[in-house]
Amino acid sequence: MGKDILILAEHLEGKLAPSTFELVTKGRELAAQSGGALKAALLGLNSGGLAQILAGLGLEVLHADDPSLAEYTDGAYEQMLLSLLRDVAPRVLLVAHTSQGYDVAPGIAGRADLPLVTSAVDVRLEGDKLVATRRLLNEKIQGEFELASDKTFVVTLRPGSGKLAEPAPGGAVTSVPPSVDASKVRTKCLGLERPQVADIDLSSADIIVSAGRGIQKKENLALVEDLARLLGGVVGASRPLTDMEWLPKTRQVGQSGKTVRPKLYVACGISGAMQHVAGMKDSGLIIAINTDPSAPIFEIAHVGIVANVLQLLPAVIKALKS
Amino acid sequence: MPLNLVVCLKQIPNPDLQFSVSPDGQDIRRDGLNYKINGSDEYALEEAVRLKEKNGGRVVALTVGPKRAESILREALAKGADEAVRVSYDDPAAFDVGKVARILAAAVRTLPHDLVLTGVQSDDYSNSATGALVAGILGLPHVSVVTKVLVQGGGLEAWSELEGGLQRRYSVGLPALLTIQFGANTPRYAPLPAIMKAARVAIREIAPAALGLPSWDAVALPYAFAVRGLAPPAAKGHAELITGSAEDQARKLAQMLREKGFVRR
Repeated sequence: MGKDILILAEHLEGKLAPSTFELVTKGRELAAQSGGALKAALLGLNSGGLAQILAGLGLEVLHADDPSLAEYTDGAYEQMLLSLLRDVAPRVLLVAHTSQGYDVAPGIAGRADLPLVTSAVDVRLEGDKLVATRRLLNEKIQGEFELASDKTFVVTLRPGSGKLAEPAPGGAVTSVPPSVDASKVRTKCLGLERPQVADIDLSSADIIVSAGRGIQKKENLALVEDLARLLGGVVGASRPLTDMEWLPKTRQVGQSGKTVRPKLYVACGISGAMQHVAGMKDSGLIIAINTDPSAPIFEIAHVGIVANVLQLLPAVIKALKS
Repeated sequence: MPLNLVVCLKQIPNPDLQFSVSPDGQDIRRDGLNYKINGSDEYALEEAVRLKEKNGGRVVALTVGPKRAESILREALAKGADEAVRVSYDDPAAFDVGKVARILAAAVRTLPHDLVLTGVQSDDYSNSATGALVAGILGLPHVSVVTKVLVQGGGLEAWSELEGGLQRRYSVGLPALLTIQFGANTPRYAPLPAIMKAARVAIREIAPAALGLPSWDAVALPYAFAVRGLAPPAAKGHAELITGSAEDQARKLAQMLREKGFVRR
């Protein structure tokens, strides 16, 4: 077993994912703990420019460029990663806990029979052990979990858990011959689709009043709309509401929806699941209203009100109108 | 094309509850918890039943868990699953996703399967790993975070949701595994007669011996797993709380919004 740390770069539509820059920061810490070097795997097509940007962060980039790697598929990525794991024998393979990470990291861990920890908010090496900090049960419990193994640890790191890496000297791009047997790849990407819906652009709003499951009934959205109007803002939502089609998909704030940074974000009856928080945590002022004092939204809110939104909002609206 | 569908379901404590840590720090306190079917697994179940209704075939609902988990299997039967199987690994905590996935994969191997479905994540431990891990172990092609599935020729088309709402459309050969995203469909309610009928159906149990194991401790793992300890998360606690009666809270909030210039005049 080697000592190097290998991160898997993620990119979409010609851009590196922000989470990749966090992997570099965390990967560097792990490399210091293991006494090895930090390396990145970048798999793609016509992705030389991205490899250069990544190398500019001061690490060796193992770059495979091949039509079979144009878009992520489990089959092609697994074949490439198996070959890289053989060549590099890293102590840790670090992947972002993103939609793609959910698929590729457990997939390779299953395929190659490797130890796996996912959605870590922090991770460290202690000798032959890997210790991961994870959040459980809607962020209400934190746990430290230990895996001891002489095999490569596969770890996914939750986006937003660390600092973005800055440019640094000493990086290089090493071309790796693609080793994908396309006849064994049974998943083919047919294309990227972006839902086209005409609606306001939430990400450009200065003030967002968002509704969550706490509003209980679709009719109660009127309260949230009233408050948004009084504040000159727009209405956003957490995923359950757009899933139930109380509001269009364009209003969804969070990992699979919009990332927003308004001056004011009022979260009405939103518990603050990781997926939602990822999309609004950098808002200027966050006011959260929720009945559950242990709701994780209060961890990232600047102002918290433990109350039933259905009682509080009418009173606030009345007070603002008077 | 009739499909042998296996849908993997998990019973979880209702995540809206408040939780505390057991005295030994190795688990949450489980007395007084109420359990339910995992959120995204409801969508996986619905997708499985719809695929069966459209294409023919059979749905087996599979869970790994203690006896209490039979309630979600009965729910699945009432909603259209044809058979229910519980793997009797009864660690109430079961924090190690690798172990659970290896047990689940071994159980799936004993069932006819053209398509295995799971929810995208469990709302208790949020690993988002079980599906692809089972697929990797079984050597199945897999797509995660799926919002739409169509049977196309001898295979599938599946739409996978990425960050920001973008989707990748895939064709996938069978047999395969998909993890189903929240909101992929509208789960049905079980009609009362079906609930009554499901209550009487025998649930098949898979014990370690059926998977060639002397006990659940004998599952071969490439690592040793341990819980170092659980705790409430260190409160970042910078939320300034507005307290008082609802009237007081509303008045104070309105005043704050005015002072900060957020109220339209």
